[in-house]
Amino acid sequence: MTILGTAFAIVFYLLYTVSGESGYAPNGDLEDAESDTDYSFSCYAQLEVDRSQHSLTCAFDDPDINSTNLELEICKSLVGVECMKFSKLQEEKYFIKTKKFLLLGESKICVKLGEDNLACKQVEISHLVKPEAPFDIKVIYRARANDFEVTFNTSHLQKKYVKHLIHDVAYHQEKDGNNWTHMSTSNTRLTLPLRKLRSGAKYEIKVRSIPDGEYYKGFWSEWSPSSHFKIPDANSAEEILTISITCFFCVVLLVILSCALWKKRIKPIVWPSLPDHKKTLEQLCKKPEKNLNVSFNPEHFLEFQIHKVNDIQSRDEVESFLQDTLSPQLEESDKQGYAGSGQGPNWPSQIPVTTSEAFKGELPFGCPAGNISTCEVSMHPSFWSPDCREGARSGSHMYQGLLLSPGTAGSTVVPPFPLQSGILTLNTGVQGQPILTSLRQNQEEAYVTMSNFYKNQ
Amino acid sequence: MFHVSFRYIFGIPPLILVLLPVTSSNCHLKDKEGKGYENVIMISIDELEKMLDIDSNCLKKELNFFRRHSCADKKEAAFLNRAAYKLEQFVKMNITTDFELHLLKVSQATFKLINCTKEESISKETKKNDRCFLKTLIQKIKTCWNKILRGQ
Repeated sequence: MTILGTAFAIVFYLLYTVSGESGYAPNGDLEDAESDTDYSFSCYAQLEVDRSQHSLTCAFDDPDINSTNLELEICKSLVGVECMKFSKLQEEKYFIKTKKFLLLGESKICVKLGEDNLACKQVEISHLVKPEAPFDIKVIYRARANDFEVTFNTSHLQKKYVKHLIHDVAYHQEKDGNNWTHMSTSNTRLTLPLRKLRSGAKYEIKVRSIPDGEYYKGFWSEWSPSSHFKIPDANSAEEILTISITCFFCVVLLVILSCALWKKRIKPIVWPSLPDHKKTLEQLCKKPEKNLNVSFNPEHFLEFQIHKVNDIQSRDEVESFLQDTLSPQLEESDKQGYAGSGQGPNWPSQIPVTTSEAFKGELPFGCPAGNISTCEVSMHPSFWSPDCREGARSGSHMYQGLLLSPGTAGSTVVPPFPLQSGILTLNTGVQGQPILTSLRQNQEEAYVTMSNFYKNQ
Repeated sequence: MFHVSFRYIFGIPPLILVLLPVTSSNCHLKDKEGKGYENVIMISIDELEKMLDIDSNCLKKELNFFRRHSCADKKEAAFLNRAAYKLEQFVKMNITTDFELHLLKVSQATFKLINCTKEESISKETKKNDRCFLKTLIQKIKTCWNKILRGQ
């Protein structure tokens, strides 16, 4: 009996103890509720995020947890201290920033409610590394290599701890939705061959990083800001080629034409040669016509009228004289001519004359420069220079205005080498014949003659 | 005759067993690949060298400590362990907080990477302001680690 009682007592006592061990307590409801809550959490570390300071961020996996009084604490593998407490951020995150992570060996992170540890986790901070996102993606088309060169930057190039990363480059056509193509690289530069891309399409590209896993391990960084680039159109390339070939041939043709027409057409315009009065004179003094009657017998020249120059008055303006005064003068002379027709054969007519610069100081007629009062201007060929006499004798076409043609008998003539700008007073001996037309013709011929200095070159 | 055999059987082997720890090292390196050194300790050593501005003349001084303890073959771990203890004596030299931090990183990281069965006896304290000794010590630690890694 005694033995039985003792046995029952032991059993009950054991039951009590065992139930206590399993978590049952006088205020068991609360404890049960507490133990059912999942306090699991996740953390990631960012090394040298603020100069030489590292950060560790943790958050509960269950977002519905009431974390009002909950704290997080990390112990072990810290330099100079045993434990450190997390700060609480908004969005239910716990954060710590310090230089005191040893980065070697395990640390213990616990969820604490007051002094009680609700949940603990052994972690190695060097295995929770999340790099910073890359930035500054550039895509450059290389026509020669027929590919795209992609370069980007990352702050980890200047860091001391996490230097070696693996980068994931993702690209897709902008209209392609979420169908991304991934490429892996350990450098900050890679090439995309053109054959892998569709010509004429627009692409989007982005990069993210992860520690290489040699010592530091962890998670993918955030994606970098996207960059966009367009593939050159194959058709546009052909068009460009066609245009370039056409331009090339045009240039070649232009060069050939320039070489061919250089002497005859281009050079006289671009680099006109200065008139040489000697050459011009030679050209002017051409061989006379064959049927020109050359004789020293005055009786052969009875039909030609000789006009004596009685007076020459100097004028300042040469060309304007021709244009401005010629018309009124001609009209006047016309009137005079007409008037003179009734006045007599010896009525002198005043004819405005233009001068040539070449003969400014020289009077081919042997008259002194300046005011010529009584200078006999003769159309006789003997007054010309010896070189010209021959030409004059043969009756050059240049002197048609000078020499009296049968059709213009009695008309006044303007010498081709006028002395100075002035008015030659000529004894026309005209009997009422109009001189306007012939004067105009002669003036025009004078223009023609003058311009021939340049044309004949 | 019987007494002689007993002497050899039961006398000499225990003697050998007692003497073996004296000749063999009581420390061994856990991080044989040297990754802990390259990614943590070496960075702190470089920072300490920058802060101390190693003087070539200082390194030529042969100090007593280094005459007694050197990075000899098969004794590299022991030397590093002893050197780590010595480093901690230089904490609170009042140079900068970062300086103390790197000193502690080197010593504590060394303790984690080296496993010694026998605790290191506290040697005579060196003068805290002996920068020359500190510079030499850091240089010797670096040389010893490089020797270990080259031997891999």
